[in-house]
Formats: sequence, structure tokens, C-alpha cells
Amino acid sequence: MGELLKDKVAIVTGSGRGIGKGIALLMAEEGAKVVVNDLGGAFDGTGSGKAPADEVVEVIKAKGGQAAANYDSVATPQGGENIIKTALDNFGRLDILVNNAGILRDRMVFNMSDQEWDAVLKVHLYGTFYCTRPACRVMRNQRNGRIINFSSSSGLGNLGQANYSAAKEGIIGFTRTVARDMGKYGVTCNAIRPTAATRMTMTDELKAAYERKKAEGLTEDSAILGDLAKLTPEGVAPFVVWLASDESANVNGYDFGLKFGSVGLYSQPKLVNTIVKSAGLWTVDELMTIVPRTLAVGLVNPAPPK
Amino acid sequence: MGQRLKDKVAVVTGAGRGIGKGIALLMGEEGAKVVVNDLGGAFDGTGESKSPADEVVDEIKAKGGQAVANYDSVGSSQGGENIVKTALDSFGRLDILVNNAGILRDRMVFNTTDEEWDAVLKVHLYGTFYCTRPACRVMRNQKGGRIINFSSESGLGSLGQNNYSAAKEGIVGFTRTVARDMGKYGVTCNAIRPRAGTRMTLTEELRAATERKRAAGIVGPAGALDITSLVPEAVAPFVVYLATDQAGNINGYDFMVGGGVISLLNQPEIVRSMTKEGHWTVAEISALAPSFITAELVNPVPPAPAK
Repeated sequence: MGELLKDKVAIVTGSGRGIGKGIALLMAEEGAKVVVNDLGGAFDGTGSGKAPADEVVEVIKAKGGQAAANYDSVATPQGGENIIKTALDNFGRLDILVNNAGILRDRMVFNMSDQEWDAVLKVHLYGTFYCTRPACRVMRNQRNGRIINFSSSSGLGNLGQANYSAAKEGIIGFTRTVARDMGKYGVTCNAIRPTAATRMTMTDELKAAYERKKAEGLTEDSAILGDLAKLTPEGVAPFVVWLASDESANVNGYDFGLKFGSVGLYSQPKLVNTIVKSAGLWTVDELMTIVPRTLAVGLVNPAPPK
Repeated sequence: MGQRLKDKVAVVTGAGRGIGKGIALLMGEEGAKVVVNDLGGAFDGTGESKSPADEVVDEIKAKGGQAVANYDSVGSSQGGENIVKTALDSFGRLDILVNNAGILRDRMVFNTTDEEWDAVLKVHLYGTFYCTRPACRVMRNQKGGRIINFSSESGLGSLGQNNYSAAKEGIVGFTRTVARDMGKYGVTCNAIRPRAGTRMTLTEELRAATERKRAAGIVGPAGALDITSLVPEAVAPFVVYLATDQAGNINGYDFMVGGGVISLLNQPEIVRSMTKEGHWTVAEISALAPSFITAELVNPVPPAPAK
């Protein structure tokens, strides 16, 4: 039992299962009082139930920690307000917000329905805003706080996930600006791109594809494709707990890749290749000549036509 | 009059003014038949008018080009369908989609209203999806196409723009995945982060601040561009280039374009990592992260030191 988060109050959304559960349990072990939020729905966002959140609260209490359950959806302004209010009503303050709740509705962009697009955007991107806004009001008054948002490597491009990529890279942009809005008040905001085998990510299709690749010896990255069992959701929690501590005050507006046994810092976007015309506008003809020899050198189409 | 886009049909959203207008005009000059979409609203998304789109159509026609106006909002599913349908009904095909329409509602995150959040997300991110989806259906059948989305430098973090940053970096994530969904059909999808002084970006506050700086003889830090000097027309040539057949290998990338400067941005990658067998413990991370993974990271807006 550590004391890194002693006396702090934390909210972890979507913490009834998977990565969120691992974070809630570890934060409690480090001394935090935890609001365990979970709507208790299926991984595609349908249905609801109190059992997942209640069970995590029970585990924390059984180990001598303090926790309270909340069952609101993050996808409405009122849900976000209620989640923050649960922390204030039960524990009197709020120091840490982990925006982890998420769902998936994969589909190729040309076949995606309005509903599949909207459901994913609402839970991930709107949900992150709906919880962050009231948390910022509290943390601004307290002159302290930690916000940790969950993004994904899918934000870097992933076949069949236009909705999820938009939401998750949107969370990166949101994170960078919240860091700038809130830094002067002693609040930091960072993002995690986790890789973990959870109920949400480990669909039957994906499991079958991994098994096929393994059988064919096509494992590009043994840490990801090699052994599913190693990608436990608990592997994400320790770094998140550390980011939530007072020790990480200089870390604000960044994003990290986490998977079993590995912690990585992502680069921030920067200009890597520039052409300049000092007088007047570029013409299309000039660009036709110059771009292929400069900006476009080495660019690879990730899905070239056959 | 060039011929770089001869016989191609282009849709440019938000093309009644500013950057979009520059793109529509140049595409018209390069031989494209252009759907000039503009709701004709104010920069904050309120109101509507047909005249901005109509005037750009007239200008293209006056130069001997072909163009048609559309006044739908990109912020609804039906609006996106109608915009793409305008291209098909008027010109029989669709080769180029430029998702440029946008609005601003700046506010600190703790004061952003539901409406300010939603309006910006709906026009930029939902609007880009609502137009891209029907365009992809057409381009997939045609086995060719170009989609150019408008992101922003604000996606890299910008005080008081949480809604805009979320929408604009969301567009970059969307762009990368559409590139992967559509590449095999000969369609490319890229994003632009423009730097230009327009009705939307050149707010009264920004103009006043720039004038104060000029009057005081304060020049920006080395390399900084004065946005008031960046004409919106400067963005168009590179967008037209991306729309040509020659740019077929450029797919899933993002570029900064302003004045005479065009830059490629890197794709995010892990630049430092530490790995062990099994789980890290919190104590191990506490001992190692500050001296390695997070060493020398700079808080962009650190709290003021205690008085």
C-alpha cells in the first residue's frame, strides 16, 4: 500500500471494467478516495447496469480504501456534472480526473451510419469535455489538479475506425489546449494512448486475426501481436497513477503510449520539411515541379491502389 | 488559365469567403467545375445568406469557368448529402472534396457553454464527416478522388480554443483513417493547417493586439509569422496541387500552409520509451520517469511561483 495519492480524491470514468478498473484499484491502493463511474453497458454502448461499478467499489473497500459508485453516462452535460458532484458530495474535493470511458463502433467510412458516428463522438470526445469542464471549475478554485485523458494509437490512422480516430485524436487536441487553459492554475492535462487487451478492444474478429497471424509467423511486434495474455489492462495503471501525483507537475499537454511493460513519450507535431517562396504566392506550376523533389520525397501511401 | 484540374469536379465547402473562396477560384482557373458551398453565415455560425456563394459562382463564370452554388449547412447529415448531390446533379461526378467550412466560438474550457462546444464540433468535425461519407461512396465507385480537410495549428494547443482544438485535431485523426479506408480505391485524404488572416481568424481583438505591437515596435519572436499579412489566397495553390493526379502518393499527411511557406508535419511517434519484463510498479515509475521519460518536458503554462 503506497501513499503517493494520499488524501487525494479521484474520478475514473468507465472504471467498472478493463483499463479503468485497474486505474481505480491502483489509485485506491496509493491512498486516493475514488469515484468509480461506470454506466455498466456493453462495449458498443448499449444497455446499462450498476454491478460493474459496485463491484469495484466493494473491492476497494475490502482492502481498506474509500470509494463511491456513480452510474451516469459521460455523454451528456448533466452526466458530467453529476459525476463531479459525486466526488464533491462524498469526499469534499476533486484532485484527479481520469477520462477513460469509451465504446467502439467500427465501420468503413463510406458505410458508417449517423448513429455509429455520433455514439462514438459523444462518449469519447463530448464525454471528455462534459467531465473536464466541471472538473476544471473545481480545480481552478483549488489551484491544483490532474486531468488524464484516454486517446488511442487509432488517432494515428486505423482502417475502419474513422469515428474512433476522429474522437481519439480530437481528445489529443483538446488535451493540449486544456493544458494551456489550466496550467496557470496548477492543473495539468495529459493523454494516454494505451494498448491493452480488454473486452472493448479484443473483439472476436481481432482475436481470430491475431491467432491467424501468430500461426503464420507474421507477428510484426511480439509485444503486441505475440501473446494476448500479456497485454493486461492493469499494465496501464502504474504510469497513470504517477501522472496523477504531485511529482508530474512539469508534464502538461503531452501524450504517452502505454502497453504491457512499456512506457513511451510521443513526439508533438512539428514541421519536418519546408519550402519557402519569399516574394509572392506559389503558383500551381511551381508546386508541380518542386513538391515531388522536396515535401513529398519519401512519403508513403499507407494504402496504395492495386 | 491552367489545365491542371481539367474535367474534374470539385466541391469546396465554405467557399463564399476567405480561404475557401481562394481555393474555389483557383480550381475554377485550373479547369475544374466547382460547387461553391456557403451557408453565408457570420464567422460564429449565426445567420445565412445566398450572396457569398453566388458572388463566387459569378466570378468563376465571368472568367469562363463552370460553377454552381449550394447553400446547405455542412453541420447536418442531410446537408452533406445535398452538397455532394449538387455536384452529381450539376456535373455528373465528383473528383475533389475540400472540407473548408468553419466557425469559431473561443472560450476558456471552464466557461465554454454546451452550445459553444457543440456548434464548433458540429460544423468542423461532424461537417467534415457528413460531406466525406457521401463523397467516398462516389469516389469509391469512380476508383479515384481527392479529399482535402482543413485542420488548424490550434490542434497543437491554443489558449481559449478547447472546442476548436478538439475539432481540428479530430479532423487530423479522421483524415489519417479515411486515407487508410480509401487508399485502395485510388482516393487520397490529407489535411491542411492554414495560416491566414481572414474574417474568422482576424478578430477585432487580434487586429487590435497586432496594431499595438506594431505601434510599440515589438516584432514577434524569430520565425513567427504575422497572421495579418498572410492573404487567404496563398493557401490555394498547394490545395490545388494536392487535388491533382500527380499527388497520388501523398495520403494521410498534414501540412502547414501560410504565405509563401509550405511545411510537412511529422506523424506522431514514440521518441523515448522504457520497457521491462512484466508490470512496472508505481514506485519504479516514480524513480525512473522524471529522469528519463518526462525529463526536461516543459509545462507550456506553468503556475505562477508562490508570492
